[in-house]
Amino acid sequence: MARSVWKGPFVDGFMLTKAEKARSSGRNEIIKIWSRRSTILPQFVGLTFGVYNGHKFLPVQVNENMVGHKFGEFSPTRTFTGHAADKKAKRG
Amino acid sequence: MARIAGVNVPTNKRVTISLRYIYGIGPKKAQDICTKLNIPDDRRVNQLSDDEILRIRELIDRDYRVEGDLRRELAMNIKRLMDLGCYRGLRHRRGLPVRGQRTHTNARTRKGKAVAIAGKKKVTK
Repeated sequence: MARSVWKGPFVDGFMLTKAEKARSSGRNEIIKIWSRRSTILPQFVGLTFGVYNGHKFLPVQVNENMVGHKFGEFSPTRTFTGHAADKKAKRG
Repeated sequence: MARIAGVNVPTNKRVTISLRYIYGIGPKKAQDICTKLNIPDDRRVNQLSDDEILRIRELIDRDYRVEGDLRRELAMNIKRLMDLGCYRGLRHRRGLPVRGQRTHTNARTRKGKAVAIAGKKKVTK
């Protein structure tokens, strides 16, 4: 079921301060975050986040199309390299 | 034979039925169109006056997204997901279920017909 509109988008509070700090510092550094569950807000556009996938921080450059998605959607947690037997379906 | 919304040619069936031949119009929307234009339920397409057909055409053109436009919109939505590089886009690219269904078994609609794995040994007693 979809989230109630009156609650607004879910974001972990510290994300806002982190984003603000990165904005004001001016340098486009990767902001490391663990909060995959947070919604991408319009004020995050243009920043680069390192979204933890349980292993590494994958860099995610936020653009305006991503607004409304969650951070976790851009940092896959599983690696599947294909089955041993079927060589045709193998991918990098 | 009547042409409504481009190529569609519904036949000598009732209006509510034959409107469903248009991509993007199902039972609900077909019924809505008929009530909006005061066309009785048992009227068949070949009994419609030219004026009524015209009005159906106008209504669909104005208020509904059908056929090519609708298909294009759906394709664009999927393309947007694929270009974003998000999880749902990846699933679309790979032709696997998008909404978290299991793929250990089933998922044949998305994956297509089962392919035998070469070199897999059969269990023998």
